[in-house]
Amino acid sequence: MALTGRTALLAALGSLPVGLWDAGWTGLLAVNAPLALACACDYALAAPVRRLGLTRSGDTSARLGDTADVTLTVTNTTRRPLRADLRDAWPPSSWQPGTETTASRHRLTAPPGERRRLTTRLRPTRRGDRQADRVTLRSYGPLGLVSRQGAHQVPWTVRVLPPFASRKHLPSKLARLRELDGRTSVLTRGEGTEFDSLREYVPGDDTRSIDWRATARQTTVAVRTWRPERDRHILLVLDTGRTAAGRVGDAPRLDAAMDAALLLAALASRAGDRVDLLAYDRRVRARVQGRTGGHLLPALVDTMATLEPELVETDARGLTATVLRTAPRRSLVVLLTSLDTAPVEEGLLPVLPQLTQRHTVLVASVADPQVAEMAEARGSVEAVYEAAAAARARTERQRTAEQLRRHGVTVVDATPDDLAPALADAYLALKAAGRL
Amino acid sequence: MTAPTATGTPATTTATGTPSAATSVTPTVRQRWTRARGVLLALVLLIAGALALAVLRSGDQHGRLDPRSADPYGSRAVAALLADHGVRTRVVTTLDQARTAAGPDTTLLVAAPDLLTDHQQTLLHTATTASGARTVLVAPDTPSVGRLAPGVTADPAPSYDTALAPACALPAARRAGIAETGGIRYRYATTAHGADACYPADGLPTLLRVPQSRGGDTVLLGAPDILYNERLAQQGNASLALQLLGSRPHLVWYLPSLADASAAPDTGERGFFDLLPSGWLWAALQLFIAAALAALWRARRFGPLVLEKLPVAIRASETVEGRARLYRKVNARDRAATALRTTTRTRLAPLVGVPATQAHTPETLLPALSAHLHGDARPLHDLLFGPPPGDDAALVSLADRLDALEREVRRP
Repeated sequence: MALTGRTALLAALGSLPVGLWDAGWTGLLAVNAPLALACACDYALAAPVRRLGLTRSGDTSARLGDTADVTLTVTNTTRRPLRADLRDAWPPSSWQPGTETTASRHRLTAPPGERRRLTTRLRPTRRGDRQADRVTLRSYGPLGLVSRQGAHQVPWTVRVLPPFASRKHLPSKLARLRELDGRTSVLTRGEGTEFDSLREYVPGDDTRSIDWRATARQTTVAVRTWRPERDRHILLVLDTGRTAAGRVGDAPRLDAAMDAALLLAALASRAGDRVDLLAYDRRVRARVQGRTGGHLLPALVDTMATLEPELVETDARGLTATVLRTAPRRSLVVLLTSLDTAPVEEGLLPVLPQLTQRHTVLVASVADPQVAEMAEARGSVEAVYEAAAAARARTERQRTAEQLRRHGVTVVDATPDDLAPALADAYLALKAAGRL
Repeated sequence: MTAPTATGTPATTTATGTPSAATSVTPTVRQRWTRARGVLLALVLLIAGALALAVLRSGDQHGRLDPRSADPYGSRAVAALLADHGVRTRVVTTLDQARTAAGPDTTLLVAAPDLLTDHQQTLLHTATTASGARTVLVAPDTPSVGRLAPGVTADPAPSYDTALAPACALPAARRAGIAETGGIRYRYATTAHGADACYPADGLPTLLRVPQSRGGDTVLLGAPDILYNERLAQQGNASLALQLLGSRPHLVWYLPSLADASAAPDTGERGFFDLLPSGWLWAALQLFIAAALAALWRARRFGPLVLEKLPVAIRASETVEGRARLYRKVNARDRAATALRTTTRTRLAPLVGVPATQAHTPETLLPALSAHLHGDARPLHDLLFGPPPGDDAALVSLADRLDALEREVRRP
């Protein structure tokens, strides 16, 4: 049961007759007894909330930044008309801050035996699963003095997927891939190791690729062409340890890493490579294996949706062991982690040879534009100290990257916006160099 | 987006028969009763216990010095004895009644003089002195005794002996003998002639009779014990009480009460609430009810808060900022200068054709730089490899000069 403002207003107006009549307790009783009676009647005539039928339908997933519409169908199975306010409660991160109240409240009227459909529009602010909380209803009586309040639990889950903002880079990277593949008219010779065909020499071709044996058999000069390898294995490894929780801009590092991983996966699957995913900190958090073609990206996005960074130090030894188990054959291991000195020197470097022995390793890391900004700070003592600290941090980062490169690892260190294209370029460069 | 869409399709009972009961999470009346009955039982037990305790421990001070009370501390026995001797006892509770009842043939007993306000005491004193009545004041203490019996003061140190000997010429006291009057002791000023000072404790009397004009007198009694039902039979208590109270045919027993209108200070001004018609006071009460209803209206939540686990919000640049603050705190100018110089050297080396491995050796970097800039190597040595700056201003200018050098090298 809940009162309305109308009841309080009537009670306040009742003070006028009480004051004018001046009949003491009798006057009070004469005003409040009818009011209480009206409230009781109103309560009795309001449609009971418990017997309403509620079902849900609508979107079950949405990209971060998009909206998801979830429809709630309220069926008035009672014999009284339903006039109600309804609150469809969802976790706070399901809406933009400040819009929760307007987005979750609905008003509905339903005559007996009819149903009404209400649409709640969610605009989530974070990845992950959003589960509907309870639906609270206030069913008002005909006088609008009191309402019956009750709640229904109508389960529904909306999975908020990573936004994959870097998909805008995909067409340009695919064009570059087609050039490598020799499908375009441009005479860019793929540096792959797979022999493709012989063709006539045209000026501009690399003279080293002339096949003299074939030339001897023909009257013209023949050159060999190669094409980039296909059916290579790529293992994307997301480090979900504490370093992934640090926020760069407004989102954790992990989100930027996911974005880059998605672009790389989309590109590699078009290039005919097999892509697997592994998320690891001290244990395997998520794994996508053996998906191909059109099933790969949805599987990746779905798996990444619920992935959150854990506040633990990544176990590099366990990570290496898991990678070696997951990729028994030669693969490209793309490690999306951070280049912070301590975790790399103490964790990754000692076990890196095990990886580089069998695999090609690519380490991608999210750099912080804030640090770059600080490095440019000048003018005051504080600013110069900040610049010095930033310079020191970057020097350490470069040294760490240098140590990794010395082990034959390709290092990509870029800000969140640039990481995805930079990683795609690094992949294309490796492919062009035939190092996969 | 919140507009309900009217579909208008009548729901068939088969489609909507059961899901309603399944989704409702509001507890039914039965569930509420099951949940609340334990608390209710505890509450009932608590209230019952409190009531029982209140009845058992209500104390014997109830009806203290009331001539109608038969409790140990009541005074019904005295009243009954007086009635046997033809003295009529009348109980009054307001000052006006007490004042009108006072007369030459009455004894006025004030059971608790300290409960009267200053104004009431003054009025009472005026009335009793004018009437010629006997006034018996039961154990008045310091401030009241001066107003009710001018010239008498109460001794702040009470006597601890209860039973005392009369030791005075007052016939009533002599006849009664030892009585329990020990309590508050009184000093009286020499101005009060003919006063009887009886039952002394440590040299000061505990019973004092001060004669007044028109044949009246004022009796101050140090302790009320002689009037209690419980103590009446002890020593000479009954005799003393009967003689003190039974000297006149009428006894007016004044029990001061809170309901007495004369207790309110009569300043002659009327407050805001006196001027307001009483109906509007009731209207204010009704407004209070309305406010309570409004509070109930606003206090009812539209469903509980939704809980959610929040992600940690740590900025990745926090360690760098922390290091900058540490540098600032300990004035680590040498460290800061080294960091800035190292970065500049690393960036300059490839621009002037020096391999990165030799960027930090002055012998290689400086000649290449000065050749590139067509300048002297000495100021460059100070700038890139010199001693740490001596103060903060020097550090700021070092950063600016390093920037200027880099810009100059980069200039085509």
